[in-house]
Amino acid sequence: MGKTWVVFKREYLERVRSKWFLIATFLGPVFFGFIAVVPIVMAAKTKTSTQLANVIILDATGTELGNRVAKTLENNNPNSPAPRVRTIKAEQVVEAEATATADVIGRQAIGYVVLDANTIAGKELRYAGRNATSLLDVQSITSATRQSLLTMRLEGEGLNAQRVTMLTNVRLEAKTEKIDDRGKEKASGLTSLFFGYAISFLLYIMIAIYGQSIMRGVLEEKTNRVAEVVVASVKPDVLLAGKILGSGFVALTQVTAWIVMAVTMYFVRVPILKAFGAAPAMVGGSLKIPSVAPLVGVALVLLFIFGFIFYASLFAAVGSMVSNQEDIQGAATPVMMMLVSSIIFMQSVLLNPSSTLAQVVSLLPFSAPIMMPMRMAIVAVPWYEIIGSLVSVGLGCAAAIWLSARIYRVGLLMYGKRPTIKELTRWIRMA
Amino acid sequence: MADLAVRIDGISKRFAATLAVNNLSLSVPRGSVYGLLGPNGAGKTTTIRMILDIIVPDSGTIELLGQPHRATGVSNRVGYLPEERGLYKKMQVRRVLKFLAELKGVDAKTADKRISVWLERFSLKTAEKDWGNSKVDELSRGMQQKVQFIGTLLHEPDLVILDEPFSGLDPINSQALKDAIVDLKHAGKTVIFSTHLMDNAERLCDSVCIVARGEKVLDGEVKAVKAERGTRNVALSIDGDASGGVRAVLDDPKLVARMDDQNRFFEIELAPKADPQELLKKVLAAGASVRRFEMISPSLHQIFLERVGATGVEEGMSGHG
Repeated sequence: MGKTWVVFKREYLERVRSKWFLIATFLGPVFFGFIAVVPIVMAAKTKTSTQLANVIILDATGTELGNRVAKTLENNNPNSPAPRVRTIKAEQVVEAEATATADVIGRQAIGYVVLDANTIAGKELRYAGRNATSLLDVQSITSATRQSLLTMRLEGEGLNAQRVTMLTNVRLEAKTEKIDDRGKEKASGLTSLFFGYAISFLLYIMIAIYGQSIMRGVLEEKTNRVAEVVVASVKPDVLLAGKILGSGFVALTQVTAWIVMAVTMYFVRVPILKAFGAAPAMVGGSLKIPSVAPLVGVALVLLFIFGFIFYASLFAAVGSMVSNQEDIQGAATPVMMMLVSSIIFMQSVLLNPSSTLAQVVSLLPFSAPIMMPMRMAIVAVPWYEIIGSLVSVGLGCAAAIWLSARIYRVGLLMYGKRPTIKELTRWIRMA
Repeated sequence: MADLAVRIDGISKRFAATLAVNNLSLSVPRGSVYGLLGPNGAGKTTTIRMILDIIVPDSGTIELLGQPHRATGVSNRVGYLPEERGLYKKMQVRRVLKFLAELKGVDAKTADKRISVWLERFSLKTAEKDWGNSKVDELSRGMQQKVQFIGTLLHEPDLVILDEPFSGLDPINSQALKDAIVDLKHAGKTVIFSTHLMDNAERLCDSVCIVARGEKVLDGEVKAVKAERGTRNVALSIDGDASGGVRAVLDDPKLVARMDDQNRFFEIELAPKADPQELLKKVLAAGASVRRFEMISPSLHQIFLERVGATGVEEGMSGHG
């Protein structure tokens, strides 16, 4: 035990002392914070384009529709230059469009709307402009037109114009809430989705980065020939255990530091977001840290530890198998594939966290450490599934340690070309 | 035979198709300097690795300092310098040394004290510069070798095992290493080193074991090994090159059984029944100016060549000594 501690201490201290650790630990949150803040700021800024109403309306309907749309757009977007209506005949559309296009190119307008018989029939309107790819902008114009058309139709049925405006002026915004077995959650559904995504992505990143760093560390000990001095003093198993635990605690240290910084940032988020120019309304409501039940927290930590050990020991075995940098990527491919395969299913599990696929990938030892936490953040996973996942990952972890220790024992002192599968099997039997 | 530092009894090790060590037994007396000699691929490194429990023998037993070699705490009393030397390149010298000492069970405080003493002794810490605070890869090769040697001795081991310690050393470092080995002996430690350089072994070792192709060829005290061969050898040294006449005398199979020709120095094994006086007369008659003509015991080098010969060196025998 004493010697495991010596190896652990060296591994931990050398990693924590390195420049990269400090940079990643302190700049990581800045980076992630940036990623989190930018969409909010962007959303706040681009919600309604200030140019939205700066359009030319080509009205070939022979009705009042063009003027009505113009008025609605103008009312909805008081900061934007007002729309201009060009009343044309149906056969003049092509010509009028050419003129309008020239105007858009000449920056007289941001785009033009074509209203014709199809629009009156309630089928379509056409829009062309610089912001045609902006879903929000196009949606705004569509709904303004829809509202105007509806008003016009209702008036045609003899309803009072003012009554119609009042009745049709419906601005709906969806506010979502998540319900699970425990009842309603405080945070919005979108937030827990984001939280689930963030957790599994963080786990993935940590396992990938630290796993590969252990792999390179083992290879370095091998190529430096330090390994032989060390295994003359301690058993390879002790060296392996000390290395994995040491790096694992570095990862935990880093995550803890990030969480502390994230929580701090959360509490001072208002001035930060304001500094970036986000609207105060945006800042207030949308961000809420989802609650994590203590048992769920324990399960999360256990999954992370098991998952980390699972991948770290496999990566260490890969590091001990090869003798030079060129071979290492190829040898690491099977382990990387396992790790990446769990991230491939992320999207579908995010969208449908209770599907059979989601249940399966959160039970397999190599994907469970990443997918299970995500499911747990989004939906209430039954306790037996969580236990099953932990047992499966625990067993997988034991198997990985057993296998890796055997490869490591033999590989550490083997130099030369990369072993074939057959040779590897012999190593495993030999150790 | 209680006072043995190492007792090996019939160990064997096979790697796939090659038998690296075959039924090897040897005894290393405590407080002696012991040479494990043999050509490349003879099984020296494999033997050393088995002594250190880095690899497990297929059969046979090993005792270190009176205990089974796998007993707890035994490895803390052994210091090891592998043939391929290396340290953590990005680590500070002091931290590496402390790590190596702590692996052998030395507590941090004691380690710090000893590191300072050793760094000064090997002039890695002087008034101008303390290399202990530098990273390993900032040191020259020679300095790194010194650091590695310090790492082998920091825990004051009773048994020091050096695998090919002289390979890659310049004459100055080589001399420093010889001095260090003698110092260790004077301090009562046992030193085992492997080498294929017979001159070093002959001067340093109390006892030797010659191995070839995984098997023991001979072992024992150097004095005894040499005495056993008697004094049928002649050391001959002449001025200038050996002329045709001298050459002819030396090539006479009636006089000379075997000869180590070093151009102006010859170690000659006399043919059976040959008279050394007759050899001297003929050499003089051939016009050579003789500076030395002495009856000697054969050198380890000669014994090695005689016993191992060219047949002991086999290509492709695992690559490790």
